[in-house]
Amino acid sequence: MIIIRHLLLFLSLVFLLAGCVPNEFRFENRANQNISQAEVLVKEDERIKGAAALFYDDHLIVGIRVKTFSRFNKTKIASELETSLKELYPELSVLVSADSKILTETTKLILTSKDEDVKEDIHELIALVEEQT
Amino acid sequence: MDKEKYAKIEQSITPTTPILKNVFRAFITGGTICLIAQFIAVFYMTFFNFTERTASNPTVATMIFISMLLTGFGLYKKIGQFGGAGGAVPITGFGNAVISAAIEHKTEGYVLGVGGNMFKLAGSVILFGVFSAFLVALVKTILVKLGVATW
Repeated sequence: MIIIRHLLLFLSLVFLLAGCVPNEFRFENRANQNISQAEVLVKEDERIKGAAALFYDDHLIVGIRVKTFSRFNKTKIASELETSLKELYPELSVLVSADSKILTETTKLILTSKDEDVKEDIHELIALVEEQT
Repeated sequence: MDKEKYAKIEQSITPTTPILKNVFRAFITGGTICLIAQFIAVFYMTFFNFTERTASNPTVATMIFISMLLTGFGLYKKIGQFGGAGGAVPITGFGNAVISAAIEHKTEGYVLGVGGNMFKLAGSVILFGVFSAFLVALVKTILVKLGVATW
């Protein structure tokens, strides 16, 4: 019984500490674009606390994490950012999403150096975001 | 014995409801259930092609399935006794209401017993759930049309 209590205490501590993941801004340029403008735009938005952006070929995919109390407007924040990025990079197909799936998948794409399947993965992510169900 | 005297005796005998304790227990129980659901949602998002929005459907189904199993094994009543509303309000309470009614009326036969009484408790949940969802959707549609909110 004491062991179970200790284990429960330990597990709850681990669960609580799991929330202390640092919020990072990752920007990856694989398309020969000037990414500093996008970097400034995303970092200066006070409602955004973390982001992963990947410039690849003719695509720009951005996953954002918004601050807790801005979560009610996360779709709006993402669409606002998407509009601004489209103005900055009119030649790119821009996708911005506040969905955590997009953020984790974009981070994965940035961290894995394999270049062959990236385009396919980006298309899959676009299809996921556009899914209506 | 007059009414006032009766009320006085009744008040002195009735044990006081530990409201704060109940609220705390409900908070912990409901919170733990939601924490488990969050883990399941993250699991679906990590290992399957679900987004934050679409992962809620399989998560709800899984939580109902787990609560049905726990009800069948007689464990959910312990959670309910400890957590009160914390065990009843989340979607797991719905699964519990369906299965407990089914188990209770099993002796009356599968069709008229289980089939007829399964949604005895959960029926009101479905009715008022659908009705309130309709009202919320109506309000949201009006707000979207007015340009106050977005989908």
